[in-house]
Amino acid sequence: MSALIKAEGLSFSYSEQNHNILDNLNLEVDEGEILAILGLSGSGKSTLCYCLSGIIPHVYSGELSGEVKINGRLVKEMDMPLIATKLGIVFQNPETQLFFPMVESELAFGPENLCINRDEIKRRIDLTLDLLNLEDKRNENTGHLSGGQKQLIALASVLTLRPNILIFDEVMAQIDKKGKNAIKDIILELKKEGKTVIMVSHNLDNIDVADRIMALKNGRLMRFEGSL
Amino acid sequence: MKFDPRTKLIMVFSFSTLAVFVIDIYLLLVVLLISIIVSNYFKEDWDFLKRAKKYITLLMGIVLIQSIFSPAGEILLSINKITILTTGGLAKGIRVILRMLIIIISATIMKGSSPREIIQALIQWKVPYEIAFMVSLSIRFIPILGEEAKDAFTAIQLRGIEIDKLSLGKRFKIYSYMFMPVLSGVIHRAKELSTSLEARAFRAYPDRTSYIKLELSKKDYLIMLASLLFTVLIFGIYIIMG
Repeated sequence: MSALIKAEGLSFSYSEQNHNILDNLNLEVDEGEILAILGLSGSGKSTLCYCLSGIIPHVYSGELSGEVKINGRLVKEMDMPLIATKLGIVFQNPETQLFFPMVESELAFGPENLCINRDEIKRRIDLTLDLLNLEDKRNENTGHLSGGQKQLIALASVLTLRPNILIFDEVMAQIDKKGKNAIKDIILELKKEGKTVIMVSHNLDNIDVADRIMALKNGRLMRFEGSL
Repeated sequence: MKFDPRTKLIMVFSFSTLAVFVIDIYLLLVVLLISIIVSNYFKEDWDFLKRAKKYITLLMGIVLIQSIFSPAGEILLSINKITILTTGGLAKGIRVILRMLIIIISATIMKGSSPREIIQALIQWKVPYEIAFMVSLSIRFIPILGEEAKDAFTAIQLRGIEIDKLSLGKRFKIYSYMFMPVLSGVIHRAKELSTSLEARAFRAYPDRTSYIKLELSKKDYLIMLASLLFTVLIFGIYIIMG
């Protein structure tokens, strides 16, 4: 089976830094797999997520070498709208991922950007809310939700773009145990649906649903052997 | 009864325009009264008035400053030959307060419409989506920026500084220390926000579809017409009165 995401010889340094935060990194993720990447703060976990999702080089610039491919296509040659339909990313802070007070408007935002018609947007919203068990939150104000629920809405708003790959960048860092368990259940549900998931965390407890764990150290990925 | 946000926007524009252009205090009072009735009709809560209590001193200050710096008419109060309160100055101050109240109260009419509906209203008025979205986003993030400033303020207090006991000059110096952390926090959040927007295909294409579509009903047209007629009527009376 060929890898769904492949990074080869990936190195990156931010313009204001003189060292590589990612250094000749290699990675392969298979379809339907849950891969966890564990790393200490400042080890480059978010930078790796940005490279895999095309945010680097499309949004942030710096010294990038090596290549990242999704389905065999180079990410740097794909534009952001195309990437958004193939790969969705959920970040640590739900506050900066929710743009509207109403849950339904939030979920419609991505498909609206992709010029999806109204009926299809409604269908996607219904399916996503059903999958995440959030039907009762459809008309809620996002400001009144808990941190875990906000993070689920951020995930739901990415899922309405129908990506096959999902990246979770420290999504459980700011939420309580109940919220963490809800997200873990969803991740397992997404795996059943055939989605590929990459989870990034600094905490081993947050990634116990993963099929495979790798450690990010000194800019490279290696097999996780119990400690960082 | 639910009204189209465009109808509400027309009402807000009418009241605000009158508040800005009309000078006569009695006419401003009429506009204020009508805006209170309309706002009440939309069943907006008046909790903000409780919160506004702390600004009463500020409002009184405005009246006093207007009176001191633009004295006119009869002198009502003077201390050591310095004119403090005059009839003309008092009238100016009252005018400023009435204008502020009309604008604030008429803005509450919009409270019942969601930001998404307001964006849609602007889009259907051919305002570019980016501008409409930017306005909505900035409103959405005002409380978050407030929290950022509050956090920086608390952090300063936790270092043993009792702000209340400091002189005004020292207080300003302390506030200047807050500037950098708040600014850097704001930039950081803006960066996170723009990254999230890009990841959700914002501005992917020149056009975009809309999940919601607003349609004006007969009652909306009636209210719009009534608002415009009211504006023309008040302006008419104002011009006739000279």
